[in-house]
Amino acid sequence: MEMLVKKYQQKYSKVREEMDRWDELQSRLLRQFRNASSIIERLEVLQDLQNYGALKSIVGIREAILGKQMSSLEVILQSLKDTMQEFNGIVMSFEKILRDGKHLANGASRPLTENQKQQRVGIQPSIADCMDGLEFIYKRHHAEYHLKLSTVSSLMSKKPPPSASDFGALQQLLTDQPNIAKEEVQSIFDIIFAGELC
Amino acid sequence: MQTPNACTQSSESEEAKLLRNLNLNLNSSSPSPSSRLWRPAAQRNLRNQWMKLVSHKQKWVSASSSGRSHATSLVNAHLSERYVPSMDLGVLKDMPNIRQKTCMKLAQQQELYRNDLLASYKDMVGVVSHMVNDSRSMRCYMKAGSPLIKFSSYSEDKNDLGDGGCIPVFTFWSIPYHEKLAEELVQMFASELILKRLLVLEFLSVSCEEQQIYTLSWSDEIYSGEYEDLISCSLYCEKTCQPIPPQINGREKSESPFTVQSNIWKDEKVLQVYLTTWFVEVNIDTHRVEDIFSIVGEEMHVTLS
Repeated sequence: MEMLVKKYQQKYSKVREEMDRWDELQSRLLRQFRNASSIIERLEVLQDLQNYGALKSIVGIREAILGKQMSSLEVILQSLKDTMQEFNGIVMSFEKILRDGKHLANGASRPLTENQKQQRVGIQPSIADCMDGLEFIYKRHHAEYHLKLSTVSSLMSKKPPPSASDFGALQQLLTDQPNIAKEEVQSIFDIIFAGELC
Repeated sequence: MQTPNACTQSSESEEAKLLRNLNLNLNSSSPSPSSRLWRPAAQRNLRNQWMKLVSHKQKWVSASSSGRSHATSLVNAHLSERYVPSMDLGVLKDMPNIRQKTCMKLAQQQELYRNDLLASYKDMVGVVSHMVNDSRSMRCYMKAGSPLIKFSSYSEDKNDLGDGGCIPVFTFWSIPYHEKLAEELVQMFASELILKRLLVLEFLSVSCEEQQIYTLSWSDEIYSGEYEDLISCSLYCEKTCQPIPPQINGREKSESPFTVQSNIWKDEKVLQVYLTTWFVEVNIDTHRVEDIFSIVGEEMHVTLS
């Protein structure tokens, strides 16, 4: 049984690595989102030739500036999509870890009984703890991924185009990551690695 | 190709050069003894000039981005000054002359930012002037009379065009072709510079009504010696006695003589457009610039970046 817990702990180490990568992606995503929304917010001002002051007499200035901004926006949106793709990769990796985790307990030649799963030795976690934690982490990140996906796509929506206050709210939503409660995740790790803390 | 110096230079033998360029590959089969000596010298010189162009480009990037941050600070200080009268000062409102003092401080800040912006503009003019100079120093001429130095960057003989009879210098390209690429590159920076000049004028004339120090028009020298510098960049039109008007690359020139409306109460949105225009460098096609450096580097077997 102790061996089995060790194996789960290895899985959790992998989970932690993926979560670190998630945090990196998160700051990248926020940066890209800010850049994209500041261009989108500017577009309206840039569309009106009245706002060009002394530049007005330069033939083609508005089209040229708008064109440049649009092409940088496209580049940013593409990299936003790439970032989302990487988030998806992490979610899929969590799913695989969960599957493997279930297999550890149930797929062996002699599946564990319910009693064995609940059994706790000292401060070591039970097998059920290990499995529940993996499930929790997968589900929450899965949900958060879909929330991010819809937030990012509403940035690109044209009907109706988002307003300045929308951008603020959307960015707050991305920052908060409401599906992933840091303390809950931390408490799972505390339980799984309780033995190592002493 | 459209060049900004059409005003100062007649469009002399541009076509003749191209024709010569076309002939080059055909009669380069048997290099003459003199071209055997000429090539290494020409290669050295070309490498040098292109390396310099790369470093000028990097200097441009840093001057342009510090110019941008000075302009942004200037605009921010200006807008704050404008809002001082309506600002809610909370507990500070009872301090004597608090609003006047704030305005004065903000005005002082703007003065500093103006100077910084001007310095950045000056740097950019310097960069472009060097670029133009280096892009025109790609030829390599025979030097008579000295046993040690056989080549120079100045022509001593009318018949020596410095292009080695248009043979390929490295692999495929003749000197005129290198010049053509360099000109295309420099042209982007030159036209961006003159567009930024207009923005600098506009930013410098941003001030609140009380201190109308700046009344700048397009034909004013922004700093002393500016016109000399602009002439060396081919950005000054002798005919109209003022800098050539800004234009978007590939678009027609704006016809009317350029006037800058000074000291008008500039709309916040207009200032935002100005800052955006500064930032996007509309006349510099970054991909094309990278492209030129990379194909030239390939041709010369060096890495330019």
